[in-house]
Amino acid sequence: MSGFLAVYRREMLSLWVTPLAWVLLVVFLLLQGTIFYSIVVHFTSLADLAVETGPIEAYFGQESVFLLMTLLLVCPALTMRTFAEERRSGTIETLLTAPVTPVGIVLGKYLAVLTTYAAMWAPTVLYVVVLRKTGSIDWHTVGSSYLGLFGVGAAYLALGTLMSSLSKSQLIALLLAIFAEFGLFVLGVGEYVFEPGLVRDVCAHLSIGSQMEEMSRGIVDLRRIVFDGSIAVTSLFVTSRVVDSWRWG
Amino acid sequence: MIEARHVTKDYGSVVAVRDVSFDVAKGEIVGFLGPNGAGKTTTLRMLAGFLGATSGSVKIHGHDIATESLEARAKLGYMPEAAPLYPELRVREYLAFRAALKRVPGRERKAAVARSLELAAVKDVAETPIGQLSKGYRQRVALADALVSNPPLLILDEPTAGLDPNQIVEVRKLVRELGQSHTILLSTHILPEVEAVCQRALVIAGGRLVAEGTIAELQARKHGRETRVTVRGDGEKLANALRELAGVKAVRATEVAGAPDIAELVLEVLPDADAEVTLERAVAALVAAGGGVRQVSPARASLEAVFAELTQAEEPKAGDA
Repeated sequence: MSGFLAVYRREMLSLWVTPLAWVLLVVFLLLQGTIFYSIVVHFTSLADLAVETGPIEAYFGQESVFLLMTLLLVCPALTMRTFAEERRSGTIETLLTAPVTPVGIVLGKYLAVLTTYAAMWAPTVLYVVVLRKTGSIDWHTVGSSYLGLFGVGAAYLALGTLMSSLSKSQLIALLLAIFAEFGLFVLGVGEYVFEPGLVRDVCAHLSIGSQMEEMSRGIVDLRRIVFDGSIAVTSLFVTSRVVDSWRWG
Repeated sequence: MIEARHVTKDYGSVVAVRDVSFDVAKGEIVGFLGPNGAGKTTTLRMLAGFLGATSGSVKIHGHDIATESLEARAKLGYMPEAAPLYPELRVREYLAFRAALKRVPGRERKAAVARSLELAAVKDVAETPIGQLSKGYRQRVALADALVSNPPLLILDEPTAGLDPNQIVEVRKLVRELGQSHTILLSTHILPEVEAVCQRALVIAGGRLVAEGTIAELQARKHGRETRVTVRGDGEKLANALRELAGVKAVRATEVAGAPDIAELVLEVLPDADAEVTLERAVAALVAAGGGVRQVSPARASLEAVFAELTQAEEPKAGDA
């Protein structure tokens, strides 16, 4: 854990003094705004019908495929530079010769991108606040929805961090991360593709789409959290082993 | 301060460093000398704990770099080749980050950063983003980084590479000053640098340590038994007079351009003869033979010549190492 706090603060500083985080934030909010706006417009056209869910549940739940697609764009871009850039520029040499452990470095970098990810979602709370005027809001389902998003992000960003440690090129790291995260996403689609049976059950359990669907309705299934957590912990553990292995390169 | 024992690094079939052993004592400034590609950087990286040795051991301040890595790394300030830095950070931010990383306690961090800014003469660019700095400033920021936790040992990989002559002089001056309070190991392929700052040098070639000693010792290795005599008279005739003397191994005569009656003789004494006595006899013999002795000086071999001799053979003979 040694060096964790210093690495975390350096990562946050580097993320936010360079254009990357700001560009991603703008693109992200633009996409989220568009998606949310479309959903709200769609719901206003259904105004007279008795619908079970509101636009907020739809945004985080049934229509979450749009939201998850934007994550496939934003998460790999957030993590691509974590290790690839350090190795390309050679700063990894100064980092690894300081009295710090690989675990400290990996956690510092990971939590910095995770914090940034959470910061990108923060403005979307305004959507809910705005809609509050039009009807009652169930803050519990909003809370569980954000928990779901945090879980997905935690898994995606850990995968991306691992991919960044595998290449000196940010572009390769980006592509690898998109590939891995899209793969995870596609697994869930299997739920709608396969006949009922084992494969479909597995896909349903691994589905990030279903996770969001459940969470948007306020169902917090511990298995979903454990699944996200396992991906994150495994990826970060492998990353720390990769960092350690550079000593023997 | 550094104890390296039989350190070897191989990359599959390529052996980058083989069986290198040496010590660096507290308070020394040691030059690590060798041509490009000789294994300098690989060796320094192993000392700094960035690379693991295939075999052998390294102890820094009594801590093994492999088994007590954090303790060992806390005792050294390492400046990698080409001074890699984060271009987006300001100099002060970068040094504050490095100080925190090197476990300088929070209360002392500000003072530690101020001190290293001062020492490395980068105070005037403290608020400038590193990406906007010139090569010379970056090099000194990297040096400030190595100094920030005030470690007892500094390992500097080519600290003057890419600097202009004025900056080189400044960095050397700084290294000499730091040498009063730190132990320093610095690598270079520039010989005057070793002469200018180091008390002792390690010479590496082809991944092996081929020589070790003070500058004077290294110079004496091959050419220590030579004397240069400037005489007026027939050079060849006088040289022949010397060749008859006991204890003389060889004499080379060269004419001095622009002075036809002046010759320069290089007298080499046999290894087992007394150099002083032989020289005394030689001068007497020159005078007896009608030569006018103008100047007698020890032929101080240039470090370049020693370096070339030491490093030319990729596979040095056993007696050479």
